[in-house]
Order: sequence, then structure tokens, then C-alpha cells
Amino acid sequence: MEELILELKKEIIEVLNLEEMTPADIDENAPLFGEGLGLDSIDALELIVLMEKNYGIKLANANEGKEIFQSIKCMADYIAAHRTK
Amino acid sequence: MIVRLSDNIVSPLGFTTEENYSAVERGERGGKYYEGLFGIPEPCYVSLLDPVVVDSRFSAMCHSAHERYTKLEKICIISAADAITKAGVDASDKRVIFILSTTKGNIDLLDNRNDFENGRENLWVSAQLVSRYFGNPNEPVVVSNACISGCAAQVAAMRCLQCDGYKYAVVVGADVLSKFVISGFQSFKALSQQLCKPFDKDRNGLNLGEAAATIVYAHPDVARISQDCIVMRSGSLSNDANHISGPSRTGEGLYRSICRTLDGYDVSNLAFVSAHGTSTPYNDDMESMALMRAGLSEIPVFSLKGHFGHTLGASGVLETVMSMHALMNGCILKSEGTENPGTVQHVNVNMQMRKTDGRAFLKLMSGFGGSNASILIEHKKSTDFDVDNRLNDNKVRLSIQSYCRITDDTVIVGGQNIVTRDLSSDVTWLSQIYKSIGLHYPKFYKMDNLSKAGLLAAEMLMPESQDIPKDDWSVVVLNRSSSLDDDKAYQETISAENYYPAPSIFVYTLANIVTGEISIRHKIFGESACYIFEHFDETKLEQIIRDTFSDSQVRVIIGGWVEYYDDHCDVLLLRVHRDDVGIELTKDNIKKIY
Repeated sequence: MEELILELKKEIIEVLNLEEMTPADIDENAPLFGEGLGLDSIDALELIVLMEKNYGIKLANANEGKEIFQSIKCMADYIAAHRTK
Repeated sequence: MIVRLSDNIVSPLGFTTEENYSAVERGERGGKYYEGLFGIPEPCYVSLLDPVVVDSRFSAMCHSAHERYTKLEKICIISAADAITKAGVDASDKRVIFILSTTKGNIDLLDNRNDFENGRENLWVSAQLVSRYFGNPNEPVVVSNACISGCAAQVAAMRCLQCDGYKYAVVVGADVLSKFVISGFQSFKALSQQLCKPFDKDRNGLNLGEAAATIVYAHPDVARISQDCIVMRSGSLSNDANHISGPSRTGEGLYRSICRTLDGYDVSNLAFVSAHGTSTPYNDDMESMALMRAGLSEIPVFSLKGHFGHTLGASGVLETVMSMHALMNGCILKSEGTENPGTVQHVNVNMQMRKTDGRAFLKLMSGFGGSNASILIEHKKSTDFDVDNRLNDNKVRLSIQSYCRITDDTVIVGGQNIVTRDLSSDVTWLSQIYKSIGLHYPKFYKMDNLSKAGLLAAEMLMPESQDIPKDDWSVVVLNRSSSLDDDKAYQETISAENYYPAPSIFVYTLANIVTGEISIRHKIFGESACYIFEHFDETKLEQIIRDTFSDSQVRVIIGGWVEYYDDHCDVLLLRVHRDDVGIELTKDNIKKIY
């Protein structure tokens, strides 16, 4: 799981262009939206693409992401349980 | 005020306004279900113009040149030809200006060139082909302001006629659909999997559509008003200064636009509001907020998206034409697709076509980049014709109080070279500038290069005191390549082999997003607008800035040329004030500092 969390942090930094951040700066339990990383609705859509592209998980609508994208830890748990690649 | 002479609509429902109006009266809807359209894996409901029918219509009017035009150009020409003929205007007259409203033009050529030359996807190329077809000698204006383009183009027409000496404006709005456009909206989860339901409690997204529409406007001096006519009385653009894709939850920009457009107008004249009504949850709620705040909750409202879908650059023109004809017929159209109205604020959605004796309507549009527009259209009796010219004299003295020039290797602010490119660095040129000026705005890294370049230039020419209110400031950008730099990046995400449409790239595939980013960063709520021309031209730049100042509420404009394409940066951004301190805004002075 630790490996997956680190991999996710790196992917999110790259995909969301969090240029001035390193994996160590991201708390896997902190909220991704609002406070915490301060991501917005376009970032949420991009996370949906990331899930499909890298892990073969397809979310039908953006609302499903609300639960999954609470934190990096939540994302990692969901991916571990549902990944197809 | 400007006078409508004629109009046309080309859509799947018909090739004239009359055919379209009759189809709408019969309740017809253009949207159909498609699987595998353009090779897109997800199914969708869209309203498509049959290319065979378009070709046949075009061949009937233009025998030899059939293969020389794209589908987009053909529908523009078919639509404009009908309207120009009905107006009885000689389109080759130099007093006629063509204005094209489009968001993506020939962008489908990035996927399949079909023997069309490189560069044909430039919006100014399509506009020139259309205006030259009619022998018009003037360089056409392209308005590319995302979904509000069609209304913004009509505001531009009003200024061309009232301020720039033109007597006739041919406003053409058009867009066609492609893998590029549909996949982008799908990546935003914005498309409904059924026919759309504007303002409905169960609405869940929009349907896209193809169309072209034209309005020929005239200056009152030449309109020969002998009978009742339709006029565009006023119009304005405002920015939410909030988010580049999400509508303001408070309807801020649209509310401000409505207030400015209706300024002093007796709203009891309003027969209806022709809403944007896309059928996305957020847009329709936002419109309900703006209407409530403007005190218009009880005015009947309809959306035409249920009939035509969202026709993007055509929609502002097409929906204005349909609403003009409803007004002339004394009718309020039905909001097709709405079954159980349900928005965050009450909206008086018109559920059945009915009669009205109202004499005016308000057309609303909102779009990406935080942009909003409203225009006021009135049915005037020949007996009460007063030439109501709300625009001010645009010859007032305007001054350039600061300017920023960015080329491929230097940044000059107010004549001083403040950054020189380190060619040995592996940091990109725009990131070098960002770091050099000490800006801390992490969102910068998420932007496309066009927005980065505009944002950096705006940052450097802001006054030292950043916290002065900017409610009455505007942002106006001209360029050549529109968002083509980012368009190509997006195209790479939708190849057949590696199809993962990227929403964060798609959102920047609109040239006006740079104006939105500047507006958000500096809390600028006034007009934000984007125009496309073939070349930098100091005369056009001065003219468009002056025209924008013809709105008496505008005090300051951040305006200029912001071009970024294929690693080449060419920016001249000005901070222009309505006063006489600083360099006078003239074409010669602009040329000197370019």
C-alpha cells in the first residue's frame, strides 16, 4: 500500500502540474479538495482520467469521485480493491 | 441602437429561419442518439447537419467551388447568402463588415485534413473565405468568446456600426461537431445521455448541435425605417472572475451584465427572457440566481437548447433570431424538454407556446472563461422611433499608463528590459519569467502557454497597489492563432490508439480563457473579450480598445495582442485608462512600443 500511495502522489503531481510540490509535501490523509491540496473541479475530472488510464477503473459520473477522492489514502484503497491493470 | 434587416438559420431543422421557426412550433427536436460517432467510444445525443444535404444545398448556389470549402464554411456561406439577399445589401460595399462568431471553426481538420491545407484550422482563415466569397473588401472580425460568442459578436456589431463608421454588419455564428469537441465535453461529464431538459429538476447535462445563423444589422441612418422593425438596443459582457469552467454559484457575472444591459430600461416591456438554459445542473441554477437578483424571476423564460442542442458559436445568433421572430409573432416559445422545473431559485419557465403583447426580450449567454453576455432586443413601431444612442463618443483621450512586451527572449515593461531569456536553461521561457518576477500563483503551472503569457504580462503592468477595485475594468485580447497551441496538445489525447481525453487541456482550447485567467487573478468583473485577426495591427487594436471604452462604465482596459504558438511568444499588453496621464492611445504610439 505504501508503494501505491507513493506512486499515486507522483502521478498526481505530474498530471495536475503541482510543479512546486514533492511527494513528501503531500499528506496522504489530508483532504484533496478545499483545504489540503486545494484542488478544484477540473482536477477532479483529471483524477477520473488518471484512474481509467493507469488503473483501468472507469467512473460513470463525477459524483462517484466525491467519496473516492477524499484523500490519497482513500484513492489508494479504492484502486487496490478495483484495479484492472 | 442598431436595426435588424434580415436573418437566417441553417440547422438540422431547416435551411431558412421560417423552416426552423415552423419546426420549433411543431415541437421538433434535432437531437438524435449516436453510437461510435467520429470513432468516439461513448454514445451521445447530438443534433447533426447531414453533410450530403449541406453539399447539395451549397452546390445549388455555387456550382464550381463545392470542394474548396469545408462544412463549416459552407454552412456559413449558405446562411449569410440567404440573409444578405433578404436584406438587399451589397456585401461587396466597403461600408459592410463581416463578423464571425465561432468557438472551434475547422478544428476537425486536426484529425483529418481531407486535402485542406495546413493552417486552414485558423479561425481568421474561415472568416476571410466567407467574407471574400461575397466580395467584401474588409478584414472580417472573428469573435471567439466560448459559448457567449454569438451575443458578443452582436455587441461587436453594435460598436462597429455606432463607433467605426460601418453601415451594415453581417453577423454569422457557426460551429460544427467533431471528435475534438464532443470528446472534450464528455471529458467534462457535461453531456446528457438523453435529450436535454433545460431548467428541469432532473436535468443532467447538455446536447451539442451543429448550426449556422446570420443576422444583418444596419445603422439607423441607412435602415430606411418605414414600418415596424426589430432593433438591438443594448448589450454587455461581464466576467464572473471566479473559475474558468464552473459558473459562479451567485450568478455574479450574468447578474452584472443584465444590470448594465437593462440600465434604465422599463422591464415591464419585457415579453420574455431567452435564456442560455444549457440543461447542465450548474448553468441553469446560475441563471436562476442571476434572474432572481435582477428582479426578473416572474418574466417568462425559455431555452431553445431542447430543439437545437447547444450550437456553441452559433447559439447566441441562432437563439436571438428565433426569439426575434417569436417577438414579431407576439409569441413566447415553449421551453422544449422542460417537464418539472427545478432550479435553486424560482424561474418562470414557459411550458407552452403562448401569446404576449410585450415588446422586448433579453437574450442571455454564459460560458467558459467565466464569460457572460446579455443583449436587449426591442420591437419598435415606426411611429415611436427615437434614435437612442447609448454608446458614448469614442474619440475621448485614452492613455497607456503601462505596457508589457514579451518576445521569444526578452520582457520589456514601460520601456525597461526586465527579463532576458537564459538560453542555456532547461526551464521553459515562461517559467523563467514567472520565477524572475517572483510571482507565487501555483495555478500558473496548470495553464496553457497562451494563458501563462497573458497572465504574466498582466501581472507586470498592474499598478503597485493591487487592491484597488476593478469592477469597471475590462480585459480585451486579440491574437492570430486562437488556442491552436493547446488545441494540438488536446488532439494528442484523443488519438485512436491512446484515447484519454484530458479535461484540463480541453478547457484551454478556447482563446478567451486567457481573459478569464487574468480576470480571476485580478478580480476584474467587467467585459472580457477575445478577437482573432490574421496579423498584429495597431489600427485594429486601437479601434477595439476604443470601441470597448464606448461603454461609459469602463474605466480601465487591460488589452492587447497575446499570441503564443509553436514555442513563439508575441505579446503586447497595455493598461489603458480613460484620462490624459501617460502615453496617448494612438495607433502610432502602439506601433512604437510593439
